[in-house]
Amino acid sequence: MRRVFLVMGIAAVLATPSGAQSADPEMRQLVERLMNRIDTLEKRVAELEQQNSATHLAPVSPAAQAAPQTAQTPAIPPSPAEAIAAVHQAHEQAPPLETTAPQAGPTMHIAGFGSMAFSATDLHGPNGGFQPLTLLSTHSGFSEGQFVLQFSSALTSKVSVFSELSLTARSDAGTGSPAAPGFNPEVERLIIRYDWNDYFKISFGRYHTPINYWNTAYHHGTWLQTTIDRPEMTQFGGSFIPVHFVGMLVEGAAPAGGLNLNYNVGLGNGRGQVLSRAGDLGDINNNRAWLVNAFVRPDQLYGLQIGGSVYRDELNPLTGLPGREWIESAHVVWAKETPEFISEFANVSHTPFNGGVTSNSQAFYSQLAYRLPFNQKLWKPYYRFEYIHVPESDVTFRVLVPSFEGSTVGLRYDAASFAAIKVEFRHYIRRDLPSINGAFVATDFTF
Amino acid sequence: MPILPTLWLRRIFPLAAAVCLTAFANYAGPGGDDVAIVVSPDVPVDNLSFPELRRLMLGEKQYWTSNLHVTLLMRAPGAPEREIVLRTVYQMSEAQFRQYWIAKVFRAEVQSGPRVVYSSEMAGEQALATPGALAFVDAAQVPKGLKVVKINGLMPGQKGYPLH
Repeated sequence: MRRVFLVMGIAAVLATPSGAQSADPEMRQLVERLMNRIDTLEKRVAELEQQNSATHLAPVSPAAQAAPQTAQTPAIPPSPAEAIAAVHQAHEQAPPLETTAPQAGPTMHIAGFGSMAFSATDLHGPNGGFQPLTLLSTHSGFSEGQFVLQFSSALTSKVSVFSELSLTARSDAGTGSPAAPGFNPEVERLIIRYDWNDYFKISFGRYHTPINYWNTAYHHGTWLQTTIDRPEMTQFGGSFIPVHFVGMLVEGAAPAGGLNLNYNVGLGNGRGQVLSRAGDLGDINNNRAWLVNAFVRPDQLYGLQIGGSVYRDELNPLTGLPGREWIESAHVVWAKETPEFISEFANVSHTPFNGGVTSNSQAFYSQLAYRLPFNQKLWKPYYRFEYIHVPESDVTFRVLVPSFEGSTVGLRYDAASFAAIKVEFRHYIRRDLPSINGAFVATDFTF
Repeated sequence: MPILPTLWLRRIFPLAAAVCLTAFANYAGPGGDDVAIVVSPDVPVDNLSFPELRRLMLGEKQYWTSNLHVTLLMRAPGAPEREIVLRTVYQMSEAQFRQYWIAKVFRAEVQSGPRVVYSSEMAGEQALATPGALAFVDAAQVPKGLKVVKINGLMPGQKGYPLH
């Protein structure tokens, strides 16, 4: 019945102008042009359908084989709104949405993330351990954020490969002596994973260590995160938490009576001699690092995630004393945006092998944001408080990790579907060093 | 002939008639606002709780069995069924939904996002052709050959059915 009415409606539109052809030459020309265009488009659709049926090797049901006309030409076309949205979507090139059947060989999907920022601070002395990616610099100016490419490919229905490459502007990554500024390429993640089922997946590779939330929720995709920067406790290039992990990981999820328990168990090389680096060229000792991470997402509180982790390694740092490292962490996240709440805590314990005292360094942050309901929900103000304390006794962290407490207040504006502008003000109070105030503007995007 | 009646007969009346007929054609009758969850015949499930459905739609549950992967089929933006699913199951806006799947792929939790289909017929054809497929369609237009899954023990049209 619906089809009949649609046909009648279209016929009613077309019938009257065609009936008046002799009286209106302009209308006749318009109809002829439209008919020609329809013919052209129909031919093009037929060509594409032929190509499609030749290249796609997806299994076709007997019903579809028996009725090829029906299978290839939907009897009811999509609604105008759906068609317009589909065209927009095609132009926007939404990366993860798959519109074709799987190919016979591996198909690689590529996506990218990037950012540009402008920063101005009143920092005029030593930065006290803050990394360049924090944008805390003695000079104001523009900064090129990381250029990140993500590649993913399904080798079979159960085996997949994922990688993330970054190009990062550094003062010493160029050529010449001394080295000029340039871009430093890095394989941030490279993972091959076998999925047995939802409960058990095993993978090997280089990961972002799954011992806290931020590190594995946003990775290098600054567009995904609300703020311009990561919290300092999980900053790239920072040392408080081992951001990267080389080894193997077992993960999975189980309903657990509506709690939705997720877990990760990992075994890997642990930190390198430079503590901010993973053991990419092999372990620096004969002791593997291991980790256990678990979190729940209860059905009854959709949006809530609560979890915790334990990590253990033995360190042989360039600076500081060889010793044992334990990390315990916990997080609470309300992932919806009205409001969005993220809070994490970590305790890093160092015990020197030579019998020195055990030192505990702590860090936490709490971030609150709210997607405002007006103006198409494009605006999202946020506030974050963060804190790191490294005791005098922790000689391993003392020169590497800044002790401070800081506030960040900002506003995110989603200027386009895949681009955001963020404006931020930060006030950091540092131990034994002057406070820092800074203003930052960034645009983050995915493509 | 006066200009106005001519204009009315040639342009406005046919357009108004088309709009009315199209609107009437889109009205699916009582209970037609419900969205049916359909799966390919090989899926060993007849009933899902609403939280289970949400886990499937979020890509958190990716396997029906160890050898049967869940393939999500998603109507393109603008479809009423998609709006109902976004509002009731995902509780997300279109922008949030897009960001959710970009992030999920970026976290290497899934290989790709849902497949996009542009009509109920296309959803039906894809679901029939894809083992483990899960799609949602207007309850008044369930394609033949697909299994309609109960949600919380209820079929579309029954009182308390959550997807409408």
